[in-house]
Amino acid sequence: MPKILVVDAGKCVGCRDCELICSAQHYQTFKSSLSGVATIKFDEISRDVPMVCQQCEKPACQAVCPVNAISRDEETAALVTNYDLCIGCKACVSACPFGAIHFDDEEKRPIKCDLCDGDPDCVKICPSEALKYEEADRATMAKRRESIVHLPELLKLITREKE
Amino acid sequence: MAFKGGYAGKLLYVDLTKEKIEKVPLDEDLAKKYIGGAGLAAKLLFDLIPKGIDPLSPSNVLGFFVGPLTGTLFPQASRYTVAAKNPLTNAWGEAHSAGFWGPELKLAGYDGIIFTGKAKRPVYLYIDNEEVEICSAKGLWGMKTFEAMDKVTQIHNDPQIESVAIGPAGENLVRFAGIFTRNGRVAARSGMGLVMGSKNLKLIAVRGTKGLDVAQPDEYLDSVKAWYDKVLSHPYTEGRVKYGTTELIDMMQSIGRLPTYNMRQGVFDEWENISCDTYRDKYLLRPRADYACIQRCGRFVSVATGPYKCLGKGPEYECLSALGSRCGNSNLASIIYIHHLCDEYGMDSIGTGSVIAWAMECYEKGILTEEDTGGLAFNWGDHELIVRLVEMITKREGIGDLLAEGSYRAAKRLGRGMEYVMHVKGQDIASQEPRAQKSMGLAAATASRGADHLYAFPVLDEGEVFAKEIRQWYGTEYLPEIGERLSPKNKGFMVFHNENYSVLIESLGVCKYGTMVPPALYYEDIIRAIEVTMGWKFSERELKKVGERIVNLNRLFNVREGITRKDDSLPERLTKEPAPLGIPKGQVVELDTMLDEYYQYRGWDKKTGRPTKKKLKELGLEEEAKKL
Repeated sequence: MPKILVVDAGKCVGCRDCELICSAQHYQTFKSSLSGVATIKFDEISRDVPMVCQQCEKPACQAVCPVNAISRDEETAALVTNYDLCIGCKACVSACPFGAIHFDDEEKRPIKCDLCDGDPDCVKICPSEALKYEEADRATMAKRRESIVHLPELLKLITREKE
Repeated sequence: MAFKGGYAGKLLYVDLTKEKIEKVPLDEDLAKKYIGGAGLAAKLLFDLIPKGIDPLSPSNVLGFFVGPLTGTLFPQASRYTVAAKNPLTNAWGEAHSAGFWGPELKLAGYDGIIFTGKAKRPVYLYIDNEEVEICSAKGLWGMKTFEAMDKVTQIHNDPQIESVAIGPAGENLVRFAGIFTRNGRVAARSGMGLVMGSKNLKLIAVRGTKGLDVAQPDEYLDSVKAWYDKVLSHPYTEGRVKYGTTELIDMMQSIGRLPTYNMRQGVFDEWENISCDTYRDKYLLRPRADYACIQRCGRFVSVATGPYKCLGKGPEYECLSALGSRCGNSNLASIIYIHHLCDEYGMDSIGTGSVIAWAMECYEKGILTEEDTGGLAFNWGDHELIVRLVEMITKREGIGDLLAEGSYRAAKRLGRGMEYVMHVKGQDIASQEPRAQKSMGLAAATASRGADHLYAFPVLDEGEVFAKEIRQWYGTEYLPEIGERLSPKNKGFMVFHNENYSVLIESLGVCKYGTMVPPALYYEDIIRAIEVTMGWKFSERELKKVGERIVNLNRLFNVREGITRKDDSLPERLTKEPAPLGIPKGQVVELDTMLDEYYQYRGWDKKTGRPTKKKLKELGLEEEAKKL
């Protein structure tokens, strides 16, 4: 079962380490437009949301690519770009509903998350476990369990019923 | 020769009088000698600021500098330094801040910005990579800090812009005005927001989308893993992540080092109301990180109901003490709210709390009367009064006009109450009661920007948790006294050693958390960081010289302004009045003995406090010595 990259925005502390490690690992430089993940900041409510490719089952990027440069990796299920085929037309950038594909002006190519061949560096560096890489059939169970403790009223109700 | 990594490679000079902008390449030899950040500030502003100027005149120079590690993945590589002649001390001034602005400036292509002159009208600087523009701040002037920053993102239609700004306090020339980032970090000390206001400069908006290279990317990434492991596995880090610096309330209370009722004593009867667990249980929503920060000492808080209802960045230790224990105030919701006001109006909460605490003690002693205060009673712990005073200070209304001058100048103007001003060189002492930890007293006395705990940040004698590092940093020959809080012995060496390391850290553009508290990363890691980032090989000895050079150049700036040994002093309360309570009961700070030892290690004249010719030659500061 391929794993999926799960974002728990509630845990993100906004350090942007995920962005930095991504571009450094892939392109040996620190540059946010060369990163497959971008932390979107909402300072007024102090929330940050790491935005990353969802590796869609019906990928719009792949559908619009005129040269079939985007294909699914058999092992990781990541949508990966073959830059030998890519013509830099930016159709994928326009098509992605999440804005998760970024066009870098220096490399002249679209940048997206490739799941690091099944061992994502952003997950490893995240200091607050806001990013996890887990099997799809169990990925959200931990999040559900954690989130329910924030609903004390509901928990009280469950306890009462048991009594 | 081009830089291999770490540096953007150029400085931005902005003449506000002529509205002229110039980009100048950063000289590599200069960078090797002073690194960046605080070091570069020390050198460039020593050369640019003429002797004896009024810090609020157009002749003052305001510089913002990032370090070569700023913007990389080094733990807590988020920092920038801002420096100018200090309007509180009339000598060297600098302040530092985390946030996201420093890295953004680097990624826009600059290692620093140097402002000279004074704008004819309120302006802000807008930087979008190579595009740099001085814009009219009409419509922004008068706005609160975060309001102005939001407005700028709207004007340029780019929510990714990072800004630093002053609030109404800086515009109204409140002496302790600070410079704020969008996420509520502040370059608080030395009145840097006041200097910015005096130049009619409201804000600096930056958008940077360039890349930042390092000399050895593969080795860099290997090192990152080691650095992160060291910081995250340090026993101190767990508490830091959980409580941030608020845990210091509990710790300082336990060792009698929590300044209370101005700085009369180091224990606060009502401390439990402002303890780290009370804070966490009642108001904390979540910790907050700055750029590349794994310490997460930022706090995001909510006061849900009542008169102090607010949501935003929460106070940390210094603020909790300044607006809390120092004013005898244990209403935590009020402290959170007052901190929020200080951020919005744009002033240093240490300066704010200190001047109010001073006024409260003066009122108690009958030195300040209702005639002076316009009928207001300055009773200890009156949080409603503090709220009111923060607004009056910002607007310089009534007694607020006097208090806006800061405690030292307020006492001077009043002609009374100087004995209750807890300052060094005109700048308020932070919440580190030195009778309970002698090294802190020496550190406050010698710091170049006036009273300051961070310039030396002597913390390894605070408690058992750093027993291992005491040996690593200072060897065994100074034991046991160097590790004993109440002993003045060997503290001259400690402060000498720490200052050299600390200015190096500020020059690299990284945080003292992780490098000094907890002391997880040390010279060996810095040597490695410089090698893999910049491609330079430094020995530990050479790096210590860089730090020493910066400290000596800061000192030369002060010598040029007339600072001597007599200014490296503490209020008599701390040197003559025995601590009344707790563990340090009966203690005073034996400053003179510690100073003698300190000057000896520094190679400074013991009578004048002036660096000797021999020392300056050794550090390659002969040219600077000629400019005294």
